[in-house]
Amino acid sequence: MHKRTWVSGLIRWGIVLAISVLTLTPVVWVLSLSFKPPQEWLAYPPTLIPRQPTLENYLVLFWPGNPVGVVSEMVRTAEPVTRAFINSLIIVPISTALSIIIGFLAAYGISRFRAGGNFLPFSVLTTRMFPPIAFAVPLLVYYRSLGLIDTHLGLILMYTTFTLAFSLWMIKGFIDSVPRHIEEAAILDGASRWRVMFTITLPLIRGGLAAAALFVFIMNWTEFLFALIFTSRFAVTLPVQVSRYAGAVGRYYGPQAALGIVASIPVLVAGYMIQRYLVRAFTFGLVK
Amino acid sequence: MSKEQILIRLEELTKEFNGTVAVQDLSLEIREREFLCFLGPSGCGKTTTLRMIAGLERPTRGEIYLRDQRITDWPPQRRNIGFMFQNYALFHHMSVYDNLAFGLRVRGISRMEIERRVRSIAQALELESVLHLRASRLDLSTMQRVALARILVIEPQVLLLDEPLNNFRPGLRELMRAELKRWQYQFGRTMIYVTHDQEEAMTLGDRIVVMNAGRVEQVGTPDEVYWHPATLFVASFIGRPPMNLIPVEYRISEGRAFVRSPDFEIKVDQRRSIIEQSQALPHLILGIRPEQLRIWDPQGSFPTSWTRLPVQIDLVRPLGRKLILDVKTPSGLMLQMIVPSTRHFAPGERVEVAFDPEQIFLFDPQTGRGLY
Repeated sequence: MHKRTWVSGLIRWGIVLAISVLTLTPVVWVLSLSFKPPQEWLAYPPTLIPRQPTLENYLVLFWPGNPVGVVSEMVRTAEPVTRAFINSLIIVPISTALSIIIGFLAAYGISRFRAGGNFLPFSVLTTRMFPPIAFAVPLLVYYRSLGLIDTHLGLILMYTTFTLAFSLWMIKGFIDSVPRHIEEAAILDGASRWRVMFTITLPLIRGGLAAAALFVFIMNWTEFLFALIFTSRFAVTLPVQVSRYAGAVGRYYGPQAALGIVASIPVLVAGYMIQRYLVRAFTFGLVK
Repeated sequence: MSKEQILIRLEELTKEFNGTVAVQDLSLEIREREFLCFLGPSGCGKTTTLRMIAGLERPTRGEIYLRDQRITDWPPQRRNIGFMFQNYALFHHMSVYDNLAFGLRVRGISRMEIERRVRSIAQALELESVLHLRASRLDLSTMQRVALARILVIEPQVLLLDEPLNNFRPGLRELMRAELKRWQYQFGRTMIYVTHDQEEAMTLGDRIVVMNAGRVEQVGTPDEVYWHPATLFVASFIGRPPMNLIPVEYRISEGRAFVRSPDFEIKVDQRRSIIEQSQALPHLILGIRPEQLRIWDPQGSFPTSWTRLPVQIDLVRPLGRKLILDVKTPSGLMLQMIVPSTRHFAPGERVEVAFDPEQIFLFDPQTGRGLY
């Protein structure tokens, strides 16, 4: 008996370790890469700790023209990441908020009133059933005639639409888990449906909302395909900016890695801020 | 009864869910300040009836009147009815104080008045010490008191309670039952109470509405439903152990009316005219409560008119001061009886059972109606 628990503990820790190694290796690699000078980017055998660590990769992100070293020479024509950073910080939070707000209202209607009939929740998913590129060409035509190409609004609308299926389904699950009786009690207390929604249901599922919001935020923050196709100069987002660090001879891995690290900071901060809700959401809501 | 004593009137209330009938043609008058219990097996439509009174379900047909005002189409918010759910449905994310204040805030009552009313109801139900706690952190009996306080604080016309004692373990259940009864005296409100527990209905209710399969079987005081069950269903549902039901045949010989089973024969001349309205003659069902069956003993002062029946004891179940005996008649029929545990009984023992033939119940096996 004692031996068995010892073995099962070992197996469990082994699995946790394997998953951690799998997920963390690329992160550690990118972190290490961001401090390497060009000759070490593709060095063989690879080094985990840079032999000649440098901050140049980070500096050129913001001051591409400043002659610091070899890397600044490579990326001399690139734009500073400031614009892409600001663009992402405008587009992503707004589209995430819209997606969650619309998702909550729609999920409430579907969960409590079966709004739109039985088929609606499923049909919302169809937006995710096709490969996104299939939408690109028709949308490009629309966007050109509407003048939405390379605008914040263009990407905000697109991101809101494409993440709505996720917000709707996640939030619907959380609303379904709120007992109807609690809402009915509030209604019998004299509260209107709107009041019930915002003072009873919403606070009860705020953990779930936070989880859904973080999920959608990450999806939007890392979206590359549409951002690449529908922006050119003005509304470029961070993932597109990462792809810009490439030249005739190949990719500039150092600045790309550095930007990857910088770009992940807002997500880390957001995740840390809502962490206490996440634990509750994943234990109460999803695992029933 | 004078008109102003009727608080709620239900008229041919019917509710169908996708073609299935949950409640059918329910007509009922609920009196001011009474404690009315809806009793029936699960799925009999009692909760649906309650929800229609509250306005949470729309009746398919029929009308609801509150003090002679037609409220069938009123939204629940307008009805001012308190509803206590089975799981209390407290707002878990709020403090007890906010739970109690919720309905008052919705009504736009001033902050000071809210404070006064919450404090006063909290005092009455001994909730002052938990006002600041989150509702999710309370124990069951406190939750129940909070749920009651929450509906009392809005001063409702009537309180509806949907099996509020279901979550309690047996001992505590009796205690909370007594509490409920005390609260009803204390607050003097009309209460409509739904339960599937007959003991609860018998001890709490001024009147009991026995429901089965969406229909009202009988409305009456606890004594009435026990001693004058209107139907076979009421007779078999109420009472523990249940009433003994024996198929009998109706005969007339030499101008006198009898009901006859293989084991005995009883004269029923006095009830002849009622019996003969039965649809299924000559078949009838005879009912005897377990406590109406007595052990016959020669020294006992039993009237000579009593019917006697030799039986064999099959099973003895002691209940402290009483015993439940399962006995077998010569024809093989099993009967249950309750006797005082003043003497010892052993399985296999042969005894004689006596009962008063005047006290038996007779039912029409086809319609289920009691023949009185």
